[in-house]
Amino acid sequence: MKTFQDLILSLHQFWRKQGCAIVEPYDVEKGAGTFNPATFFGVLGPRPWRVAYVEPSRRPADGRYGENPIRFGLHHQYQVILKPPPPDIQDLYLRSLEAVGLDLRKHDVKFAHDDWESPTLGAWGVGWQVWLDGMEITQFTYFQQMGGVDLDPVSVELTYGLERIALFLQGKDSAFDLRWTDWLTYGEMFRERERQFSVYHFEKASVERARTMFDFYEAEAKECLAQGLVFPAYDHTLRCSHLFNTLDARGALATAERESYIARVRALARACAEVYLSEVVRAGTPR
Amino acid sequence: MPALLVEIGVEDLPAEEAENIAQSFRENLLFGLKEARLPHGEARLFWTLRRFALLISDVAERQEDAVEEIRGPAVSAGLDSQGNLTPAAQGFLRRYGAGPEKLVRRKVGEKEYLFLRVERPGRPAEEILREIVPQAVREIPCSKFMRWNGGMAFLRPIRWVVVLFGGKVVPVELAGVSAGRQTFGHRFFGHPLNLSQPEEYTTRLREAHVLVDPAERAEVLRRAIRAVEEEYGAKAALSEELWTLILGQTEWPRPVVGRIPRQFLELPEAVVVAALREEGKFVPFTRGGKIAEVFLGFAEGEGDAEVIRQGYERVVGIRLHDAQEFFGQDRRKTLESRVPELKGIVYEARLGTVWDRVERIRRICRVLARELCLPWELLDRAAYLSKADLLTVMVREFPELEGEMGGIYARLDGEREEVAKAIAEHVRPRGKGDELPETPLGLALSLADKLDGVMGPILVGEIPTGSRDPYGVRRRGSAAIRLILEKGLRLDLFGVIEEVRDAYPGTTPAEAVKEFLWERLRSALEERGISYDVAEAVLSRMDGDFLGVWERAQALQALVGRKEIADLALAFGRVRNITRGYEIEGFNPELFEEEAERGLWQAYLLAKERVEKAMAEHRPKEALEALLALKDPIDRYFDQVLVMCEERDLRENRLGFLLSLSRLFLQVADLSRLVVPG
Repeated sequence: MKTFQDLILSLHQFWRKQGCAIVEPYDVEKGAGTFNPATFFGVLGPRPWRVAYVEPSRRPADGRYGENPIRFGLHHQYQVILKPPPPDIQDLYLRSLEAVGLDLRKHDVKFAHDDWESPTLGAWGVGWQVWLDGMEITQFTYFQQMGGVDLDPVSVELTYGLERIALFLQGKDSAFDLRWTDWLTYGEMFRERERQFSVYHFEKASVERARTMFDFYEAEAKECLAQGLVFPAYDHTLRCSHLFNTLDARGALATAERESYIARVRALARACAEVYLSEVVRAGTPR
Repeated sequence: MPALLVEIGVEDLPAEEAENIAQSFRENLLFGLKEARLPHGEARLFWTLRRFALLISDVAERQEDAVEEIRGPAVSAGLDSQGNLTPAAQGFLRRYGAGPEKLVRRKVGEKEYLFLRVERPGRPAEEILREIVPQAVREIPCSKFMRWNGGMAFLRPIRWVVVLFGGKVVPVELAGVSAGRQTFGHRFFGHPLNLSQPEEYTTRLREAHVLVDPAERAEVLRRAIRAVEEEYGAKAALSEELWTLILGQTEWPRPVVGRIPRQFLELPEAVVVAALREEGKFVPFTRGGKIAEVFLGFAEGEGDAEVIRQGYERVVGIRLHDAQEFFGQDRRKTLESRVPELKGIVYEARLGTVWDRVERIRRICRVLARELCLPWELLDRAAYLSKADLLTVMVREFPELEGEMGGIYARLDGEREEVAKAIAEHVRPRGKGDELPETPLGLALSLADKLDGVMGPILVGEIPTGSRDPYGVRRRGSAAIRLILEKGLRLDLFGVIEEVRDAYPGTTPAEAVKEFLWERLRSALEERGISYDVAEAVLSRMDGDFLGVWERAQALQALVGRKEIADLALAFGRVRNITRGYEIEGFNPELFEEEAERGLWQAYLLAKERVEKAMAEHRPKEALEALLALKDPIDRYFDQVLVMCEERDLRENRLGFLLSLSRLFLQVADLSRLVVPG
């Protein structure tokens, strides 16, 4: 049986052969692999860029107390960035699925229209959800903008939902039954964690302190930007984004207020992109 | 003459847009051929989400030769008295590098000019195709354009191009791709294939597991749906949107039937239907008003049906499990308790929040309840609760359940059945073919909702122009008119609009809304088979009773083409013409001198009584028949009476009478607008 960790290792193997740098998850909370600096900054500017990594992604509002078979407050994305993408990118992606052990000729594979947008990152792209027998297993996106900046060249982002792919590989109906390795299940590792974070995000998190922290990190990010310290500024932007997600899950934001929080994070992300392009890329400083 | 095949291979197009893309391509390419003077035979369009192709029979190998004539100086300026070329004419020839033997004389109006005849011999078709094929693709309108480093913007990346003219490849270049003869079969069950002739296109692709003809795919879908309907005694819950998606999602559709786990069959039917139909994934079925236990999906290609069925059932189970959770979550609060939260949802910056919108809808409902004799308390209750479902998780997850969900939750909250139904129905009709509300309260609430959607934007200055209609004002206007015409709502719409104008911000006068709806009414009449001139005739006088206008239009349309109505139209035309520009109220019958005057007056009195009675009772057909009796008296009148006589009193009295007669006609229709044959 292909364990969860085997799945990750197979993807590493596959994308390493395609010339990707295999990098590590980034150590600040984030809602998706897209927020990792290896993607956010990597897709800006003209330099070719190929990376792949696993990203534990936190989405407080998606938590289900560990009771839903495929919805979690934290799930594992496998993220690939190809800049520029090769012309046979769709085939290459499908070959990666075969490489992890899926026999696509037995299944129903569809590329279903789904344009992606991240209002907090000021980013959008067009592409698909890839459906395997009707289940979304990957978001496949041609990025058009990041941090409000038009991309040239454009990049392709592949975001695999590892839990969902593992369900197919292991013939399971619930992610908590998945084997991480031969002596450990996904449920043993994460179910209690999921329950606790759901309790925290939906019932206990202090709205007042979350708001205060948001303000604090926003101020810190602005201060860093003023000094040209774009990478620390970006870390604080990520923290703001996560605090916004926490407030949102807690049900603390009315619609109009929600919009204004999104706009504040986006303003920071845009500023990071601009400073990065004008000071880091133009100066020729390596990443 | 050889056939031409042009195929554009793309990464998967959005299923809902694939057909439009193909149709635009067809139009553009055929237009290009026509412009380029390349005659051709029949054109057949093929498409899937991965390609669109046009196969055209008998395409000319060369353009037709053409002769163009370019106007130069007038003969008087171009030739001297001896018939020699003047410097002006010589200059003209020099400019085009032509000799005098190419000059001809042509008359334009009264004057004669020198023209230069330029012969343009036809260029070979291949040369033309290299220009018009890329242009035909570049000019396709897309909902969104993307870049993929291919040097152009399109809906999705272009990955291969086939241009075969007879057996020959035409070297077209598009988006960095060179045309060849190689196309691709199904992604998993096909292979690359080289076409030797255009005509083998559909056959070779079918062998490679691609049904490139949408009609063939539609047949597979229909047959599979019918088979399930027969086997399970159920009816497919299709929608236009779902059909478009399933037709667009596969190149080689393979039906797979699955079962819904029993515990989910207790959920409201609308929820299960929405969950299955979501993103065009599955076709739901109903039996006797309840959801049936089967669903149908169409897999791409020839996979293992058993594996796919299990996958489908798992996905359906997960989604319905979600729906069950949403349902439980939503039920923790009543609709009523959610209403104040609508203050937090911005509807439009100038028009306030959804709460403000609800308040305006309630204002309109108050007037409608009075006009349509409906129980105001119930209607107001429905209006108050109508938008609260926007705050439920279910509607956030399944937007198509807006309204419907409100109705379901209202019923569970213990609201009156009429109120629950009205909430459920008030979003209808969503689009052109959608069903209308059925209950009187649902109708009124829907009309109020649509009217608010028209009045709000227009009154803050957002009147739709051309293709710009960001607030969907036209769609809402047409929906309001549909409700009135098809459900027979008798009311003075203009009166309603004036009465509620002060509930809206903005400085635009209410007139703008009336005029906008009046123009929508014109389109509505024409869409329903009323000819242009009949519409003109009944729309000549602004009237808030749209139902009445529609009834008059139908009555008149039924008579058009009959001789008496044409004669009456001519007779009335004389009345209109002679009175044009005059405004005289009243007349004195004692001043009538001629027999024919008194005759028309008598006929007028009789007709007036009948017309007014018929119009008051909404029987325009009888009103028109009463007017028909005036035709002969009018003709006699104009034969015998000199309206524009010398004596001023007499003249004005006659004009005053004719104006009264005219007003009687105009209550029904301005018949002088009819286009009368001969």
